[in-house]
Amino acid sequence: MSELTHASAPRRFIGGQLLGSSQLVLGVILAVLCIAISIAAPQFYSEANIIAILRQCALVLIVASGMTMLIITAEVDLSVGASLAFVGCIGMAVLNSTHSLALGMLAALAFAGGVGLFNGLVVTRLRVNSLIATIGTMMMLQGGVYLFTREAVQNHNQLTSFTDLGAGYVGAVPVPVILAALIFTVAYVTLRFTTLGRYLYAVGANEKAVRLSGVRSERLKLFAFILTGLCVGVAGMILSSLMNAGQPTAGRGFELTVIAAVILGGTSLLGGRGSLFGTLLGVLVLKVIDNGIIILGWNQDLQMVVPGVVIILATYLDIIRNRANVR
Amino acid sequence: MSVDFLHPGEGAAIDTDVPALELRGIDKRFPGVVALDNVDFTLEPGKIHALMGENGAGKSTLIKIMAGVYGKDAGTIRMRGREVDIKSPRDSLKEGIKVVFQEIALISEFTVAENIFLEGYPTGKAGSIDWKKIRADSAALFNRIGFNVDPAARTGSLPVSQQQMVEIARALAHEARVVVMDEPTSSLTPNEVSLLFTVIRRLAALGIAVVYVSHKLDEVFEIADTVTVLRDGRHISTKPIGEHTNDTLIQDMIGRRIDNLFPRKRGEPGSKVALSVEKLNTARKLNDVSFEARAGEVLGFFGLMGAGRTELAKSIVGYDPITSGTIVVDGSRLVPHDTRTGVRLGIGLLTEDRKSEGLMGELPVYQNASLASLGAFARMGFIDKAREHRAVQDYVDRFRIKTPSLFQQVKNLSGGNQQKVLISRWLMRGLKVIVVDEPTRGIDVGAKSEIFALIDRLAGEGLAVVMMTSEMPELLGLSDRIAVMCEGRLTAIMSRDEATQEKILNAAIG
Repeated sequence: MSELTHASAPRRFIGGQLLGSSQLVLGVILAVLCIAISIAAPQFYSEANIIAILRQCALVLIVASGMTMLIITAEVDLSVGASLAFVGCIGMAVLNSTHSLALGMLAALAFAGGVGLFNGLVVTRLRVNSLIATIGTMMMLQGGVYLFTREAVQNHNQLTSFTDLGAGYVGAVPVPVILAALIFTVAYVTLRFTTLGRYLYAVGANEKAVRLSGVRSERLKLFAFILTGLCVGVAGMILSSLMNAGQPTAGRGFELTVIAAVILGGTSLLGGRGSLFGTLLGVLVLKVIDNGIIILGWNQDLQMVVPGVVIILATYLDIIRNRANVR
Repeated sequence: MSVDFLHPGEGAAIDTDVPALELRGIDKRFPGVVALDNVDFTLEPGKIHALMGENGAGKSTLIKIMAGVYGKDAGTIRMRGREVDIKSPRDSLKEGIKVVFQEIALISEFTVAENIFLEGYPTGKAGSIDWKKIRADSAALFNRIGFNVDPAARTGSLPVSQQQMVEIARALAHEARVVVMDEPTSSLTPNEVSLLFTVIRRLAALGIAVVYVSHKLDEVFEIADTVTVLRDGRHISTKPIGEHTNDTLIQDMIGRRIDNLFPRKRGEPGSKVALSVEKLNTARKLNDVSFEARAGEVLGFFGLMGAGRTELAKSIVGYDPITSGTIVVDGSRLVPHDTRTGVRLGIGLLTEDRKSEGLMGELPVYQNASLASLGAFARMGFIDKAREHRAVQDYVDRFRIKTPSLFQQVKNLSGGNQQKVLISRWLMRGLKVIVVDEPTRGIDVGAKSEIFALIDRLAGEGLAVVMMTSEMPELLGLSDRIAVMCEGRLTAIMSRDEATQEKILNAAIG
């Protein structure tokens, strides 16, 4: 009995966690998309286009890394889009008045982290459902940003370091892609290899059991909210650098793209199940679709329609695959 | 609908020679499993027939076929000698079979009377529903079973015991010849159980064949005329209850003998106090509860439903808040009052509600087992998975936890094996005091004895075991001392030698 268990362990380890759940389906979808688009439009595989796709992925992936952890704990944050816009405006305003990228960045992180903390406290202390709590925060931020500024906060300094944040390169790789890769890696390692990551899954799977085991479950959730907020802080600064301004209208619908990518990647909204690798694939699929629609010269409104179809389809395929596994 | 149901036995004499219901050669397959294999089941009118077996034996499948929820794959069903074809719950009811499921299927927003006549409201002139008649007929029905429920009450506001009575009244309204009660006592108080038994006997006296599905031996011996045992989807035995003893019945159910359900291997408890609780109060329930538990001792807590056992269990481990009182674990006070401190001091709870408070069903066995002791397997926050797996494997082997691998989702294990995983969780952490709340709830008879042996072993290894239970045999078989609770107060503490069922029950009533 025990030999059997040991023998099957390593195989399950690689096959189960990397490609076991919906990732396989998603990988196939991604491959099919790439092949189909490049047959129809060979310029898809040009270096410039690939870099453009990666750059677009970066913003979503940064926030999706935090969001994956949060959704694994069975909570969700719908305020990230509204927060993204607000953060850009605040970061830019601080940057303008202090002429310091570090202070601007710090202000952005503090604000976004504060939003996460607020969300987390409302959810863990007041016990308001996170869906409702963060819709509330989203509305407050959407309105609040106009109390802060009626129009875009323009960049008065033109600090090169700030411009590089969004538009710069290290070698051939855009800076945002490097930042995203960094954040993704840290989050990935945390979820896969640390006690913290294990507890995040555990809290999502059964919060009461975790609490009975002597672990402070509220803190874990609070942590995930703050982390998501901090990711928004980074993404907000990159976005304002790319637009060379803090735009109060930016980030509309961003939360849906992020959550869609996470869900597409196989992370369960019920908590306890999911992986960052899946999220990465989810982001890639969504952004390749975006890119394909542009390259093929299709109607741009399809950029919303097609991902909607893909999410339903991918989830359905996952259900079918699960059923096949059970039998 | 006719009004014959008010006076049945008077018109048609009951023909006791013809079975009320006869199932022959019933087969039922689900993908990958044979749920029923050539099962015969015959019901005599006016008799109470117990249907027993472990989880997965096929009891539920059989009654669901009778109820028309499942179709059979092979076999015949005869009602009073006439072959019938039951394709849906509606057919089943029309043929006179009424199944009262554990999960009661009444519309909670409707009144009692509305529920009783759900399938066909009597109508008055112009097709309008005759509410007056519905109320009156309902009252008459309750009169016949000798139990009164207000026909105008909203069904959802009634306790489960009364909802069962509504279901039984529905059975009479449909002139049922067969009434199936599926584990009816699982959420009833002893008082309610005895009332239910009176009603069930009354049904039998009316000539109705009653099927009583249960795995509680004492109840079956009290109420049943005949017992049929299923095991692994096969019919094992059908005998008059008089030909059975506890041992033969268990043997039929699990297919082997259990010589002693409560093997005691541990020595006598030491004198060291591991847990001391003084004047504990909570906002809702507990009232000045004080007791001590010693290392190596099993202290059993008994009480009727609502006595406060689960509340006590949850508050002494720091999970539920207390309003006053002190809890001292292994010499240190549990302050602040939370589970984190509790676990550090060495007290943990094995919950009564495995699914919602114990297991992380989606997660693999090894993660469930190591949850409380992750820190021990980590360096700088990184988990040494190889060590973790070895440690869990060790427990899987020692406790003979049946799982295909450490990576199996724990929800796919049987109740007994899940419980062993949860016990491992605490043993890996290393506790001084373990509080076990209803340790064998939802666990098969066969696996029960293993859990009992484990509890014995825990105490043998020097833990203080505080055991909350509503099962008298368990209480008497395992405990060194017995504490009894009533309405949040501790009413008696006695040693095992001086304890008798009567003494315990008296203290439980208060």
